[in-house]
Amino acid sequence: MNATITIWSKHMTKFFRSTEELGGLLLQPILWVVLFGVGMGSLVGGVEGSDYMSFMLPGILALTALGGAVGGGMSLLDERLRGIIKEYLIAPIPRLSILLGNAASTTTKALFQAAVVLIVGALMGAKLSFNPIGWLALIVLLSLFTLGFAGIALAVAARSRSIMGYHGMIFLFNLPLLFASNALYPLSSMPGWVRTIALINPTTYLIDALRALTFGGVAALPLLLSFSVILLFALLGTALAYWSFQKTIRG
Amino acid sequence: MQTMIVARALIKQYGTVRALDGLDLNVASGSIYALLGPNGAGKTTAIGILTTLMPPTSGSAQVAGHDVVGEAAAVRTKISATFQDLVLDQDLTGRQVLDIHGRLYRQPTELRRRRIAELVEMVQLSESIDRLVKGYSGGMKRRLELARGLMTDPQVLFLDEPTQGLDPQNRAIIWEYVLNLKRERGLTLLLTTHAMEEAEALADSVGIIDHGRMVVEGTAAGLASALGADLIRVIGTGQSTQLLEQLRNLAFVDQVDYDPNERQIQIGVDNGSRRLAEIVARLAADGFAIEEVAVTRPSLGDVFLKYTGRALRD
Repeated sequence: MNATITIWSKHMTKFFRSTEELGGLLLQPILWVVLFGVGMGSLVGGVEGSDYMSFMLPGILALTALGGAVGGGMSLLDERLRGIIKEYLIAPIPRLSILLGNAASTTTKALFQAAVVLIVGALMGAKLSFNPIGWLALIVLLSLFTLGFAGIALAVAARSRSIMGYHGMIFLFNLPLLFASNALYPLSSMPGWVRTIALINPTTYLIDALRALTFGGVAALPLLLSFSVILLFALLGTALAYWSFQKTIRG
Repeated sequence: MQTMIVARALIKQYGTVRALDGLDLNVASGSIYALLGPNGAGKTTAIGILTTLMPPTSGSAQVAGHDVVGEAAAVRTKISATFQDLVLDQDLTGRQVLDIHGRLYRQPTELRRRRIAELVEMVQLSESIDRLVKGYSGGMKRRLELARGLMTDPQVLFLDEPTQGLDPQNRAIIWEYVLNLKRERGLTLLLTTHAMEEAEALADSVGIIDHGRMVVEGTAAGLASALGADLIRVIGTGQSTQLLEQLRNLAFVDQVDYDPNERQIQIGVDNGSRRLAEIVARLAADGFAIEEVAVTRPSLGDVFLKYTGRALRD
């Protein structure tokens, strides 16, 4: 736990020092909300009784979390390729804490971004529900979701030999996952096979739960199911990262 | 004498490449041991196994009394290391690098503050410790790494090529620190190098490693004097096996080696200036065309040449 916190705080120190990373991380979600929300919103009007901005904001939250996970894997890869990881590996700390420290800083950054998305979204007319449980659920769900994908990104980063190779493997973590979910169109309006794909994608469960809990919409799936899927996904992602990392360091 | 590092028959196999091929090693407590060998000899792999970075394919090793595989966690509390490449976060200040390291080892705040003050003084980084590492020179980075290695007061310090790429001045500074660490703290140091002056200047014991095996071990002076009191080096053409054999059979000759790359015959004798005339006469009589002759004291480089058949270059 101590090592996890130390590594997390180191990443956060570096994050707040790097104006490029900080700026990019804040600007990106703003652009998504403004360009996408406003553009599509004027075209579509509303979906299933809520305005389009409220409908697609959970998708943008998911997208920024995915971007964050890619960044988290990148920072592990960077530490690995530059050898910085050796400092951790010879220290008397659990191997898992190296991954957890990284995943924790990734999640913290994703939550920062989420706050920005929500503020900008609200300014652009999204209707947020003022329900403390909804907000808590947002934080928990988004954290678990980020953890899950950060796990997959870390698993890839633990094995990649180069930055190019990493990005080649991880290209899915962006629009493809978003398009293959209920982010842009409701499950009910999807053709059967698209719906099947969307139901395999954990992003769908996050978005569906957030719509109901944070944006006052109606859940298309049972909330308990969505929670369970996201939780399971987070555990699997972490386990995958650990397995891949162990495999690498046993060399 | 207590042994701090023991390795027995270490083998490390990467696919078809055998990086270590049965390495044995003993390092006495409170001594400096230099693993000397060319690039690719297996030095870094040996350090990797002894610092618990990776397990050996077979064989065993103990550091500070603990097995590096079975008791890796215990080993990690007692060792520290600097690696061949600079392993520093460029976007942190020197102070943050040291502080984070101490926190990883659960050092309390007050202890960290004290150790940082003391070490920064020692490695002469007082003026730049609050600047970003990015702006440090190579020598400053090395010194910061050394300070980081000492933050946790280890019993054993591993230094993989500690002065590679440093200018002579910075190199001399690092040498001085290393010698002081042994003298004042009784630290055990295992360092790797491919520079024999480094091994000569620092090490109590030197192990020459080649193709993943220990070729010969001893003190720098002992290894060199075993070659003979003096070395006569002759460069020229016309060398033959019989000629070398004849030389070897002379009573005053300790050993004879031939380096085909340099076209050099190296003859260890009891007294160089007294035997020179006779050696030259014999070579000339056997049709060896002499281009250059020199009499020198044997060095570790000559030892290396003898045992590996190659010259050791930077």
